Amino acid sequence: MSYVAPKDYTQDPEIVAKIMRTISGQLELTWMKNIGERAAFRPSQTARGLTLDDINQGSYSPDHLPEIVRHNFSMAPRGAILPAGLPSLGYRLNRKSDVWADIAPRLYEEGKSRRWAPAHDVPWDALAKPGHSEDVAIALRQLSTNLTSVGLVACDTAASFEYRMNQEFHEIKFLMCVQMYDAARIAEAFRKRALAGDGQLGVDCAELGDFLKTIFVADSYAEASVSMNVLLFSWVQALGRHIEYTATNRADTFLGTRLAQDASRFIAYGVAHIRNLLRVRPIEVERLDNHLDLAENALVGALGAPAMIEPLVLISGGFEPVVGLYERTVEEYFGRCLAAGLGDRSARSPLPEFLRMLRS
Amino acid sequence: MTIRFPSLEFFQALQQRTKEDKAVFEKLGTCDTNFGVKIGSQLYTIDFEVYECVDVREGGDPTRLDFVIGGPTEVWGEMVKAILQHGGADAKHTLNTLSHVGDVLRIETSDAEGHDKFYRFMASIQEFFDQARHLDVKVA
Repeated sequence: MSYVAPKDYTQDPEIVAKIMRTISGQLELTWMKNIGERAAFRPSQTARGLTLDDINQGSYSPDHLPEIVRHNFSMAPRGAILPAGLPSLGYRLNRKSDVWADIAPRLYEEGKSRRWAPAHDVPWDALAKPGHSEDVAIALRQLSTNLTSVGLVACDTAASFEYRMNQEFHEIKFLMCVQMYDAARIAEAFRKRALAGDGQLGVDCAELGDFLKTIFVADSYAEASVSMNVLLFSWVQALGRHIEYTATNRADTFLGTRLAQDASRFIAYGVAHIRNLLRVRPIEVERLDNHLDLAENALVGALGAPAMIEPLVLISGGFEPVVGLYERTVEEYFGRCLAAGLGDRSARSPLPEFLRMLRS
Repeated sequence: MTIRFPSLEFFQALQQRTKEDKAVFEKLGTCDTNFGVKIGSQLYTIDFEVYECVDVREGGDPTRLDFVIGGPTEVWGEMVKAILQHGGADAKHTLNTLSHVGDVLRIETSDAEGHDKFYRFMASIQEFFDQARHLDVKVA
C-alpha cells in the first residue's frame, strides 16, 4: 500500500488558513529567519569548478557526522535545518563506517568528468575491418555477453543499497549513482560490441551467474562492497586491460581502455571504504573474510567456465597469456585486499590453488 | 626545432602540448596523479593536475609517486617511433599493451591504490605520450 501522510493536507484547516493568508499577501517568512550556516564556497581550482569537496565546510562537512546517525532519517539534506515532524524514510544504512570513504567525493567528480558515450565515442566503424578471424570475433562477442551481465548486476547491486542509505551520506549515494551509470554503460557498450555489424549475443554462463549472485545477495553493504568493488572489478579491470592488449582494431582498444578506467574507480572506492570500515570496526574483518571465501570460490567457477576461459584463449592466441592474465589479476587483487586492511588472503583463498592447477 | 628522446626537453614539450591541445585532455577528463617514467636508469617525474601536466622534472623519489612506468631505453624508443609513425601509439605499442602480460614495461609501485591510478588515468597518460606526434623528435 502507498504511504499515507499523517494529515489530509487538502482538508487541514490550519494549512488552508495559512495558504489563504499567503494569497492575501501576508507572508510569514519564518523559513527566511532560520537559514543554515553561511560560509564562503568557492572553487579551490577554477579549472575543476565548484566541487563537493569545495562545499564540504563547517556544518555542511561530513567530518562532523557521528558514527551512528540518529538525528535525521528524513530526506533533509545534510546541514539543513530540521523542523520537528519530518517523516522517516526508513533508511537501514545509518552508520558512517558502513559506507564512508574520504575519496568518494573526488571519485564522483572524476567519474562525471571522465564520462564517455558508447554511441559516438567508440570508433565502431573500425569493426568493419576488425583485423581478426571469425573465431576471435565470436569469442569477443561471448566475452561481451559476459560483460553485459556483469554491468547489469553491478548496476542492480549498487541500486539495491543506494536507496537504503541515509541522506547524510549523500556523497556515497551520489557515487553509487555514478557507479550505476558506469555499470549501465558497461552493459550498453558491450551489448553493442556483441551485436555491432553482423554480430550476436553469446551463451549465458551459469558459473558467472553464481559469482554475480554471491555479490548481489550479500547480507550487508560492506560484504557487497568488498566483493563487487574490490573482487569483481579487479577482474573487470583486468579484462579491460586484456581486451586492449589483444585488440586488433581501434574500437576494441578504446573499449578495453575505458573498461579498465571505469572499473578502477569501483576498486578505488572499495579499497578505501573497507579500509575505513576496518579501522573503525576491526571486528568486521571476519565477516568480510567469510564472504570473500564464498565469492572467491564462485569466481574460480567463473574463471574456469568454458564460456569465459575459452574465448580468452582464442583472443589471446593460446593458453599461456590467459594464465598470465589470471596470475596478474589475482596478485593485484590480493594487493588490494592488503591495502584495504584484510591482510594476506592468499593462505585461505581458493584462487592460488586454482592458478597452480592451471600451471600444472 | 628537433627534440632528442629521451630528454627533459621532450617531456617539457609534451607538458606544453597539454596546454596547447587543451580540448583533447578536457574531453578525457580530470587526471590527478604524480607518476614517474623511468627510461633505462633515468627517472622523470610527471605531475598531472585537473586536465594538464603541471610539472616535469628529472629525478624524483619513486616512493612518493603513485607509480613508475619503467623499461629499457630501446623499448621506450620503439614506442615513441611508433607514435611518430602512426600519429599515436599503434596497438602493439600502447602503455597498457607494453605493461600487461609479459612486462615489456613494468609498473613499479609500493602502493596498490597508486598503482590503480595508472589504470584510472591511462587514457590521459597515453594521450600525453601520443602528443609526440606533433613534435619533431629524434629518437636516440
